[in-house]
Amino acid sequence: MLENFSFRTIVEYLPLFGQGLITTVWLSALSFVGALIVGIVLCAMNLQRGWLFRAPAKAYIDAVRATPLLAQLYFLYFGLPRLGFVLPELVVGILALSLNSGAYVAEIIRAGILSIPRGQVEASVASGMTYVQRMRLVVLPQAFKVTIPPLLGQAIVLVKDSALLSLISVSELTRAGQLLASDRFMPAEGFLTIAAFYLLLYYCLKGLAGLSSRWLGTAGART
Amino acid sequence: MTKTGLTKTGMIDFRGVNKWFGSLNVLKDITLSVEPREVVVVCGPSGSGKSTLIRCVNGLETIKDGDLVVDGQRLGDPATNMTQLRTEIGFVFQAFNLYPHKTALENVTLAPIHVRKIPRAEAEKAGRELLAKVGLADKVNAYPAQLSGGQQQRVAIARCLGMRPKIMLFDEPTSALDPEMISEVLDVMVAVAEEGMTMMVVTHEMGFARKVAQRVVFMDAGAIVESGTPDEFFSHPKTDRSRAFLSKILRH
Repeated sequence: MLENFSFRTIVEYLPLFGQGLITTVWLSALSFVGALIVGIVLCAMNLQRGWLFRAPAKAYIDAVRATPLLAQLYFLYFGLPRLGFVLPELVVGILALSLNSGAYVAEIIRAGILSIPRGQVEASVASGMTYVQRMRLVVLPQAFKVTIPPLLGQAIVLVKDSALLSLISVSELTRAGQLLASDRFMPAEGFLTIAAFYLLLYYCLKGLAGLSSRWLGTAGART
Repeated sequence: MTKTGLTKTGMIDFRGVNKWFGSLNVLKDITLSVEPREVVVVCGPSGSGKSTLIRCVNGLETIKDGDLVVDGQRLGDPATNMTQLRTEIGFVFQAFNLYPHKTALENVTLAPIHVRKIPRAEAEKAGRELLAKVGLADKVNAYPAQLSGGQQQRVAIARCLGMRPKIMLFDEPTSALDPEMISEVLDVMVAVAEEGMTMMVVTHEMGFARKVAQRVVFMDAGAIVESGTPDEFFSHPKTDRSRAFLSKILRH
């Protein structure tokens, strides 16, 4: 069985895998930045008292969480051009990941902000701080610490979700595995190799999460 | 009553104040005037509205009807800038509510720097002096989690003093403390009172009340039942309700 496994072909295809890996990394990074922006805006809308901003934010978050990412991706890739918006597949891919992940990021940030005890807000209100001052000086710095670990968890999910972009022919990591599988009929080699690369990315992000929590844990530990 | 008809204005003036939580009348027709430099102790059983009473003074709670005038400004009046008024009112919480991500000194200087716009160096100098005053000169760089409850509460008092307020409100400042830490906090409060601060203090600490309070206000079920000098109140309570209350807190 293993004698059929061709390490040589893997080595031969390494440049392709390398390129795929690099594409996966930067498009995930870009998408995550996009997701943070989408998430912060959604979260700010969601924390308003009036329903005018809150209702659309909630509807959007529900819609994204209720539907498969693949369906969202297909809508943007196949549906948008029919509505008159033609975008390159890479842009569509990054847009889809940002819009999708943004909904989850919004909920992570909201949970972080709401986890700050009411007394913190009261203390800052009592000292005469404005809404912006107490968010900036008291609430967000504390919320930031509790949101970093789940945000990195979301980043890991995003990296794995980016594999779906292979279906709209973005030449990222999974696409490289597909090429090896179809060119040489070597699906075992192709998909096992990309799995290894995803595992590598996973450990990088996990290491980052560990570092950040240790770094954040030392500065001003709370009871 | 016309505005010009007000004869004298205290630092804090409740006039017929009512407040409801849903259908519960938590403050009933409160009329109470606190003069400048006066120390008023508010006591009463749990749920009597005493915390709500002082939380109204800096607008942490809003009132339903009646008038509440603080430092000459009517609360709820569109002309009253609440944010500005709050800078004149220090509030000490039962649970301290120090900022856990800031050191003791940063806790004290945060609002002076960002709200009062005092230059950082000047605010830090004042902050160190205040921390020294509450006996924590060696803890300026400690985080709240590294301090005991009594130390945290003293930082919280210093944090209020850093704003140079005209009024200080204390909401059961020693209730969350271990018994041996209560006196260190009370000592600081006595010192603040002796400097002439206008204070409303929700507490059952009778020693403190006898030492510095000009008046004790006893509340029950949202209403002021009795008020008098500490001596009058503790030695010769006038109502059955206050006698029953005192017999409970004095039993031990």
